[in-house]
Amino acid sequence: MRALIAAAIGLAVALALTLTITAIGAPAGETSPEPLLTTVPEHP
Amino acid sequence: MRRKAGLVLLAFAVFFTAMSPLTRWYAFPRLAKVPANQYQEAVLEADDPTLIDYGTMKAKKIDKVTIVQTLKGNVEASEKIEKADGDSSRDVVVWDALSYVQDADGKMVSKIPERYIFDAHSQEPVHAPGESVDGDPVKRQGIEFKWPFLTEKRDYEYFDAQARVTKPIHYKGERTFRGVKVYYFEQTIPWTKVPFPKTMPVKGITPKSLAGTGTTRWYTTVRKFWVEPTTGAPVYGEEIQRNELRGGTLLGERDKVTVFAGHVKMREDYIESTVDLVKSQRVLVLLLTSYLPWGFLALGMLLLALSLWLEARTRRANGSRPATSNDDDPEPEPEPKPARA
Repeated sequence: MRALIAAAIGLAVALALTLTITAIGAPAGETSPEPLLTTVPEHP
Repeated sequence: MRRKAGLVLLAFAVFFTAMSPLTRWYAFPRLAKVPANQYQEAVLEADDPTLIDYGTMKAKKIDKVTIVQTLKGNVEASEKIEKADGDSSRDVVVWDALSYVQDADGKMVSKIPERYIFDAHSQEPVHAPGESVDGDPVKRQGIEFKWPFLTEKRDYEYFDAQARVTKPIHYKGERTFRGVKVYYFEQTIPWTKVPFPKTMPVKGITPKSLAGTGTTRWYTTVRKFWVEPTTGAPVYGEEIQRNELRGGTLLGERDKVTVFAGHVKMREDYIESTVDLVKSQRVLVLLLTSYLPWGFLALGMLLLALSLWLEARTRRANGSRPATSNDDDPEPEPEPKPARA
């Protein structure tokens, strides 16, 4: 019985962690202030 | 004490084992996405191309044509589409793109803006107001610029912005490009009548005035992409393109005049930076599809084996001594010291 409880705890934490990480996701950020180029950038 | 440790190990074993498929099949499809605020530029060049001189309406060989392609993620526009869509879980990317072409003297040859809207995870096109090529509303089918994550060895539908058509882009096999394993794709757009660009290089000449002469513009291209399959990002691209003006009073006695004919290739410095960028992004995708899932699984199995071994040891220890009321603490009790005579 204790083994089952331990396994259930492990599974629940894995599920909770995965759901939380995917729900948070990555922030969208902001639109770059860089312009759409109408000049040819130089070779670096 | 040993039994408690075994149970803790078992909980961790289940945790890591469960994390393996959850990372690969639940987290990866939701976390791997094209960022909404991506900004990227690429420079392509065609050496010794043929280009029309609109002053004389004759084609001539010139030293070089350069194409500057900029992609800029429009975060505000993507958020607006996501809200209008009503599905808050959907991630949409809006790319405002510009293909700016100039000749060897730095004069503008053409300027084609685009708005490409697509699903951040699958790269499937999303149809929303604003989707356009050169100011004309379009409804794209297939992919453009980028392949989906975990690109497959098969043909894809690819949207051609010049012709505004979607045609298959054929998978032609595996290659190694600058040390990166890539899939090579090729698409041929046969001669197709296409609209005149809205911005023409000569003042006074407009798409409307050209159309009024009865002259039409035709285009064909062979498009080649070397795509890194894990990220779906092209590391290199080439295009063998021809543009012609055909018929109408503008050409006089001639049937057709070449507008542009050339072999366009990515500039060397942009190949290097693109390869470096794709290599770094590839590691992140592999982390979710391979490194973490396999690592979690191995760790889970190891911890499971350890917990079973601990449990077996505990039972053996318990079996070799009389049962006590407390099985959780199987530490042997200190043996009584022999009484002194």
